[in-house]
Amino acid sequence: MNTFVMALRGLYGVWLREITRATRDRAQLIGGISRPLIWLLILGVGLNPYFRGEVYGEVRYVIPYTYLQFLFPAVIVLNIMYTSIQFAVSVIWDREFGFLREVLVSPMPRWLILLGKVLGGATVAMLHGGLVLILARFADVTLSLEQTAVALALMFVLAFGLTSFGVILAARVRSFEGFGVFSNTVILPLYFTSSSVFPLDPALTRAQQAVTYPEWLVFLVQINPITYAVDALRGVLINFNQFPPLWGPLVIVAMAVVFFIIALIDFNRQ
Amino acid sequence: MTSPLPEAPQGPLPAIAISVEKLSAAYGGKTVLDEVTLQIPRGTSFALLGPNGAGKTTLLNILSTLRRPDGGSASVAGADVVRQQTLARRSLGVVFQDSSLDDRLSAWENLEFHGLVYGMAPKLRRERSAAVLALVELEDWRDDIVRSFSGGMRRRLEIARALLHEPQILFLDEPTVGLDAQTRLRIWRYLDEMRRERQLTVLTTTHYIEEVENADTVCIIDHGRIIAEGSPEALKSQHGSRWLHVVPRDQAALDAIRAQRPDAQLLGQHGLALPADDGAMTDAFLTAFRDRLTEVRFQDPTLESVFLSLTGRQLRDRADGDRDAERAAGRRGGRR
Repeated sequence: MNTFVMALRGLYGVWLREITRATRDRAQLIGGISRPLIWLLILGVGLNPYFRGEVYGEVRYVIPYTYLQFLFPAVIVLNIMYTSIQFAVSVIWDREFGFLREVLVSPMPRWLILLGKVLGGATVAMLHGGLVLILARFADVTLSLEQTAVALALMFVLAFGLTSFGVILAARVRSFEGFGVFSNTVILPLYFTSSSVFPLDPALTRAQQAVTYPEWLVFLVQINPITYAVDALRGVLINFNQFPPLWGPLVIVAMAVVFFIIALIDFNRQ
Repeated sequence: MTSPLPEAPQGPLPAIAISVEKLSAAYGGKTVLDEVTLQIPRGTSFALLGPNGAGKTTLLNILSTLRRPDGGSASVAGADVVRQQTLARRSLGVVFQDSSLDDRLSAWENLEFHGLVYGMAPKLRRERSAAVLALVELEDWRDDIVRSFSGGMRRRLEIARALLHEPQILFLDEPTVGLDAQTRLRIWRYLDEMRRERQLTVLTTTHYIEEVENADTVCIIDHGRIIAEGSPEALKSQHGSRWLHVVPRDQAALDAIRAQRPDAQLLGQHGLALPADDGAMTDAFLTAFRDRLTEVRFQDPTLESVFLSLTGRQLRDRADGDRDAERAAGRRGGRR
């Protein structure tokens, strides 16, 4: 019992440190606010009229939603991706500036240290995703309390998986500079191939889909786990799924479990 | 002095705080520790003295469970550092050579973090944090972000943090770099008190002689091997000898002296040290070279000369000698 309380205190300490540090990191907060504004206000508003249009002289409705509504859940995922993967910087920072040793000589077991760190990073990333929810009304998305709760839960599990992914990256990257370049080359391709800015099936029938999009692109979208995360959030927030509704949550949970285990193996090896 | 600490639980604790048995470690094929064997009794102050790269920090890293040994075994407070890591870590307080503070947190938040990670209850955390902050005189800066601290303040906070959870054993890796004499004195006084009252064991590593004179036991380590161990006095009387330090006028003089006295040791760039226990030989030397020397000085046995006679080298290796000398001078307030 006593050991359990002590472990909880340690977990809370590690988690609290991540939260405290995040609230002092202005740059990250500014990024978390400006990113959704740019994507929704500029790209979203700008492309909104083009989302329903004429193809071969025939008016087609791509999906029964506006582009802003379609884009809204994806921007949440984008914000979570950025914050989660940037979390690797915190891990590299700890390692390079010696703070890691302070925790490693403490009685806390390593898995608990990592869990605390990832929970902290995931909380921050989820809150950054939550910032986007404030813009819901603007994107013509109406949210019930229940929808918001389910969305936040999914966002947290997604953030947990992506934060673990950030830790995995951190174990393989030596310098901060290297990481800056690296993170952009990871985040943006993943984002663009997640059916975030365009629907996978523009024509609603399978025959037309293959004509419209090259197979390699469809393939990339289908193997990208982020696709299913975006799909899960679309299901909750605008009630639109491109895949069976259960796939999204399953992929999100699977990412969290698998990435955390790999991160733990890495962390134990250090 | 009144102790601000609550009583520690008095249980049966092993009489040997740190036990090291034939410990070996290698870095990329290069031996860093070579079958080191050590016993450190509880409540004593033990100093590992040796030049940079002698293996001191590697030994501390193994003892604090950060690194696995490549051979042999070690235990702290009766717990094996490989098989009982959690138990071993619970008894340790560690001050690393380089800062391991979070410089985006305040002094108080750093202590709070430490207390939480060591599982301390809220009330105890507050009391202990206040007590250790007072010890290092940082109360006025408790809510300031560590990033704005000077090197000495960080060092003090780090020592305070290592004492927060009342460890049985304290590791200080090059502890007093950047500390003024007054703070150093107060911290050592506190540590002495802790040793008497609660049998705290202090293990220090250093390459500064000044820091080990007060230790109970000094262990001289070089190239990963223990070359001498004992109280400072014992070491001095056993291995120390009187030395004559001279600075020859020019290179020719230096070469001449070295030709005549093969036992002369190079001291830095220009100086030489000669054993001076034999009065007649010393007189003969001085008579012969009187006019070719610019500086002559006798050096009574110090741990520095113990090291010199044991290894044939100076404690501070040539490469960082100047920088260290400067630092040391800085710590002594510019006095030589």
